Amino acid sequence: MRRDLFTELFALAAGVGAVLLVLGSDRERSPVAASAVLALVVGWAYIASGLIARRQRPENRLGTVMVFVGFAWFATFLADAGSSLVFTLGKALESVYLVGFVYLVLSFPTGRLRSRLDRGLIAAAVVLVIVVELAWLLFADSRSQICSECPHNAFEITRNDGLANGILQGQRSVGVVLSLFTVVLLLRRWRRASPPERRAGAPVLWAGSAMFAALAFSVGNDILGHPLGPGPAWTRELVFASIPIAVLAVLLQRRLARGAVAGLVVELGEGVTAVDLREALARALGDRSLELAYWVPARGSYVDAGGQPVELPQPESERKATVVERAGEPIAALIHDPALAENEELVQSVCAAAALTLENARLQAELRARLADLQASRARLVAATDAERRRIERDLHDGTQQRLVSIAMALGLAESKLASDRPAVQPVLREARDALAIALAELRELTQGIRPAILVERGLAAALDDLSRRAALPVRLHVALSGRLPEPVESAAYFVASEALANAAKHSHASEVRLAASHEGPLLVIEVADDGIGGAATGGGSGLRGLADRIEALGGRLTVSSPPGRGTTLRAEIPCA
Amino acid sequence: MRIVVADDAVILREGLARLLGEAGFEVIGLAAHADELFALVERERPDVAIVDIRMPPTHTDEGLQAAKLIRARWPQVGILVLSQYVQARYAVELLAAGTERVGYMLKDRVSDLEELAASVRRIGEGASVLDPAVVAQLVGQRRKGDTPLEDLTERELEVLALMAEGRSNKAIGERLFITEHTVEKHVKNIFATLRLPPSEDDHRRVLAVVTFLNAT
Repeated sequence: MRRDLFTELFALAAGVGAVLLVLGSDRERSPVAASAVLALVVGWAYIASGLIARRQRPENRLGTVMVFVGFAWFATFLADAGSSLVFTLGKALESVYLVGFVYLVLSFPTGRLRSRLDRGLIAAAVVLVIVVELAWLLFADSRSQICSECPHNAFEITRNDGLANGILQGQRSVGVVLSLFTVVLLLRRWRRASPPERRAGAPVLWAGSAMFAALAFSVGNDILGHPLGPGPAWTRELVFASIPIAVLAVLLQRRLARGAVAGLVVELGEGVTAVDLREALARALGDRSLELAYWVPARGSYVDAGGQPVELPQPESERKATVVERAGEPIAALIHDPALAENEELVQSVCAAAALTLENARLQAELRARLADLQASRARLVAATDAERRRIERDLHDGTQQRLVSIAMALGLAESKLASDRPAVQPVLREARDALAIALAELRELTQGIRPAILVERGLAAALDDLSRRAALPVRLHVALSGRLPEPVESAAYFVASEALANAAKHSHASEVRLAASHEGPLLVIEVADDGIGGAATGGGSGLRGLADRIEALGGRLTVSSPPGRGTTLRAEIPCA
Repeated sequence: MRIVVADDAVILREGLARLLGEAGFEVIGLAAHADELFALVERERPDVAIVDIRMPPTHTDEGLQAAKLIRARWPQVGILVLSQYVQARYAVELLAAGTERVGYMLKDRVSDLEELAASVRRIGEGASVLDPAVVAQLVGQRRKGDTPLEDLTERELEVLALMAEGRSNKAIGERLFITEHTVEKHVKNIFATLRLPPSEDDHRRVLAVVTFLNAT
């Protein structure tokens, strides 16, 4: 604050000094009073805006830059002084304010230069208005090069009109090029800007472009030897004076944005859903692309409103994240356009206003994330069960079954060798062989039940066909399936059909069963309907519960309708994706 | 009769070879997988190749695929596919590739050496043999609404089943304790009901039955 007070006093003095210099100058300026007013207005506008900006956003360099431009502007009026040294100093500093100005428009609104191109442009401007200017002064005769009534050029070492003219024309030409280049940069920036960036940058970007276009135009005319006269120069300086007002306008706009926060508070008070919350925040922040991510402490990561994992953008990414905290714990993160990071106050006030609602939404999102976890773990359990079935079936097939068959072979061999010699042995061997045949048949039933080979080898349609052929009840089969389905889906569908057919045979007293399998949109639908006595218990029966678990683990649904006397219909819907 | 055996389980491969040797067959080669089998068949041109349906690398139906390939490339070589499970569907696939010199049986049948030897011999002589379990699946199925098998009498179904196993009218008559003449009458009735033209060859009758069943 002290520093600001000092700056203010100094600005006051500089302004008064500039006015006095203009009024006291014996050189042509018309009208004198207007020039004085312009000098004052421009300088003070910059310094005042700079000070306000510095107070609002101390971390942003823009305020300081504007103060610099203001003082640099006042310094140009030193050239109106009568003293040779002061006059020459004024001449040397004549265009320094333009460097600050270029920096201002290029770095707006962050106060930081964005690219190498920007930095290169600033460096070129510095060289042009300081180094080249000083070089020119070394050879420029004040009266022939500057003005007839001007004091002596204190920096002149030797008069060389040709060289001085050459330097001057070169400086002006490069100046025109740099000005036009700046306009191109600004326009390109506008074209690439996101909507929030445009909203924030518009007044400064356009006024800056106009200023440099005008500068290029008037200097261009100087080069061609017909200066535009005071009128157009004034217009240019008025545009120049409007820049700090544009900066103030942006500041003001940000104040207005706080009105949006009040609107948000009202909206949140009315109760919003998760989707509306995003909409409301996006509206308040003026960033349509806003995304919300909710913190799940158990996972130590973020999820979206649907419970799906979300990665926050990396620091060097195109997007920025602002974390909303409550009692030191993160609740959520706003993933937004980087332009919003320049309006941290607004983001912070929006976060503060929405914290409670965000906390509620976070709890919902966490619940969904847990449900998703649960779903995944059920699916894993089913997958593990299937893998275990595969292993058991394989073990039985490769081990026990093969061994039993080889014993059967040995018995057959023994029988053929012994039977004729020792008739008494034959019944014993036959008995053993019969027992073995039964064991093999039972084992076959068992392994088929664990994991039917036909399902693995030929798919669901073939397996259902096989199932219906082997069923204990007559089956009407209606299969309309295209191609193979994911293994867990086929497996679950098969076991539904198999279990339902077995249940029908055991409990329904039905004369016939209808087994249908078809696609309904993204769903595989299996329907098993009998014409039996109905009244099947849908609750406790572990068979049905087990089936329902399997189906639900795949995100599907099992429904049983069994009104007494009207048959039982079992319907499984399984997502195939 | 010259035989080759393909099964990835050594114990079964060797056992079968011994068993068949005992029954008077000449076992001229053993294979552990389909490629070995092809090389063996190419070199030896056996009368019958006995193939396990489940072999490496996927242990699903390699034996069936190998059998189909042998049928296509060496039609004079008889094929007997053995399996722990029989699928009517596989029988139909196998017969669709040609109905001569082909058989499909449960592995369990190896315990009855006489039956096994008879089946292998029949195949070697050009007939087709299906396991009774396959026939039972095809004929005895309880599916409703899509098969005119429902129109056959119990006796006709019995005859059809035995036909499908590859038995002659004489053998069917012996089994059912009826005269060959009566069997012929039943067969004519069956063909009429199923709208199939009558045929003299046993294996053609199997084909007729199986393709018909498949078509339904």
